[in-house]
Amino acid sequence: MKIFDQIAMCLQNLSRRKVRTALTTMGVVIGTCAIVVMISLGVGLQRSQEAMLAQMGDLTKIEIYNYAGAGGQSEIPNLDDSVVQQIAAYDHVEVITPLVQADWGKITIQCGDYLYQDSIYGVYPEALEKLGYLLKEGKYPSGKEKDYTILFGEYGPYSFYDPNGNGEWYDPNSGDDPPVDVFRDEVTVSVGIADAETTEQEAPVHEAQVTGLLMGDWNKGYETFYGAFLPIDQLYELYEEYDEVNNISSSSSTAFNPRKINYNRVSVKVSDMKYVDEVETKIQELGYETYSMESVRKPMQEQTNKMMLILGSLGGISLLVAAMGITNTMIMSIYERTREIGIMKVLGCVVGDIRTVFLLEAGLIGLGGGAIGVLLSYAISFVLNMLGSGGLGSLLGGMYYGGGDATRISVIPIWLVGLALVFSTLIGLISGFSPANRAVKISALEAIKHE
Amino acid sequence: MDKTPFIQIKDLRKVYKLGKERVVALDGINLTIQRGEICCILGTSGSGKSTLLNMMAGLERPTKGQVLYSGKDVTRFDERRWALFRQKNIGFVFQSYNLMTGLSGIENVAMPLMFRGMDKDKRTRIAKEMLREVGLGNRMKHKPTQMSGGQQQRVGIARAFVTKPKIVFADEPTGNLDSKTTMEVMELMVNKSRENNQTFILVTHDNGIARYADRIVTIVDGRIVKDEANESIARTREQIAADQKAQQPADGKEVEEAAPLSEQAVAANMSTEGAE
Repeated sequence: MKIFDQIAMCLQNLSRRKVRTALTTMGVVIGTCAIVVMISLGVGLQRSQEAMLAQMGDLTKIEIYNYAGAGGQSEIPNLDDSVVQQIAAYDHVEVITPLVQADWGKITIQCGDYLYQDSIYGVYPEALEKLGYLLKEGKYPSGKEKDYTILFGEYGPYSFYDPNGNGEWYDPNSGDDPPVDVFRDEVTVSVGIADAETTEQEAPVHEAQVTGLLMGDWNKGYETFYGAFLPIDQLYELYEEYDEVNNISSSSSTAFNPRKINYNRVSVKVSDMKYVDEVETKIQELGYETYSMESVRKPMQEQTNKMMLILGSLGGISLLVAAMGITNTMIMSIYERTREIGIMKVLGCVVGDIRTVFLLEAGLIGLGGGAIGVLLSYAISFVLNMLGSGGLGSLLGGMYYGGGDATRISVIPIWLVGLALVFSTLIGLISGFSPANRAVKISALEAIKHE
Repeated sequence: MDKTPFIQIKDLRKVYKLGKERVVALDGINLTIQRGEICCILGTSGSGKSTLLNMMAGLERPTKGQVLYSGKDVTRFDERRWALFRQKNIGFVFQSYNLMTGLSGIENVAMPLMFRGMDKDKRTRIAKEMLREVGLGNRMKHKPTQMSGGQQQRVGIARAFVTKPKIVFADEPTGNLDSKTTMEVMELMVNKSRENNQTFILVTHDNGIARYADRIVTIVDGRIVKDEANESIARTREQIAADQKAQQPADGKEVEEAAPLSEQAVAANMSTEGAE
């Protein structure tokens, strides 16, 4: 028998008993609907949690804090460039940069008569963009410039003061113009003089180019507002110059030694949230302390998953009932059609074809019910979301998100649709399996005598 | 034995167990049927005639003995092979018609062709023609419930002959029909069988319809008690063949189809592996 004929026969059989087919399908519709809506609530909850976490910080970022290992009295290896490169080579690591806060007073940034008075940081300049630092103005340093390049935080220009002035403080929120225009005015960097008595040298003054201003973001940190970023190589060049100018011998413990670099903060960005755990574990195995949103996200997600499982099981129960309905319908149908099955067998229909027809019928009830169930779920989901902004929303999600933006309480992702269809079809096939085999085992001779 | 018989039944025995009692339904049947033969198995209710038919069609397994088709033992066939064998080689006419109530006349007749995997257009065309041949050209689209008994049986006959099977079994085909319709139906089946040189095996308790057969095998208590040629019909058949030859000397095809095939050709045609 051709599959087309089998399908035609199956449709014919189903349409002959319209009411029963409709009722059985309705069972599957309700079951599928229950599962899909329940899970969609879980997904909605998960989405809103993620949105909330994303507001708190970048979910794909891991910060490495390394204060314990400083000084070499610990077993943990120094977190230097080689370790950074090692981590950079891990799977799923997109970008990595150390964040070095320059020692106080070693470096001076000057713009006209004004001196920069806030923290200076050394970073891998090419990492900034990928780490999600947004620009307010200008561009990112490429790291290949010959000149010293500076990228200021959003309020960087307000962090200048006049050393000869009366200590006036410029408030970025006041609407006043900053004291300097870092793009127009000449900006220079130089090293500080630790003690004017131990050195006669004048610190050389280097021209510097300001490439841009960052967009301030409290989730990324203070430095995006008030910091000044230098490429890390340029920072170390200035360190060496500082030692030279201040006559600090390279054997001195206070001297800068590139072999003793031990970053105490390194930012790692992972390509996707799902790899954060894996990468973070690997870094922790190296002995460093880390922080990521994962530590907040994970328990939250576990809770949500648990909730989804409970909600899904509730839906599952109704689908189980529907499965019994299918089995019952198919068994009934076999009793009614015993004689027909017998005739088919006598006329030379191979048993495989008979089984296929019955399985198709059961599978079709499952698939049809699943499809209608999914459509109905979309409708229910729509209504829930409409109501959700009011009563139920605050009940379910209110504890997680205060702001009402992008908060749908019921979300049906496409995988859920696929899952629902596959699952309901499978339920149909499984329910139809034993009746189909029963049909196959009917003795042709008995069947044609059957009335 | 220089020639392999078309159907050969060897020492066929069937014993049923009813509780502790053993009922011997068939007690050593030996029977040889030639291709194109119209054979009536005559017996009273409980004589074992239906059991014999069921075993020849693979609907029941014998306790002992063999059924050979062109020398091939079919008694050990599994269910699937039997289904394919019936699909290819056997047609059935039942006492209670056994039509599909939900299907139209055409669909009922086309069903065995569908089992073979024939295209819908083609099988519908063949079924229509077959229905016209049995005289139901104007009721093809009716459902069995909208037909008289005689019409239903004609649909049954069309269904049995539509695949041009080598053997057609009919189990009390006229049991539910009045005497006029019985005559029409019997003539229809016998003529159809003769047309295509099909072997027709009629199982009945009715002496009246047994006379349509070339040969009457009488069974009593599971044994063949009488096996005789029906002289009048045999003569008539020869007469018909002679008439046909005389009337249509140019139309070779018609004659060729009516003439019995050689047994080798039958053996070659008697395929057990049908298309699904």
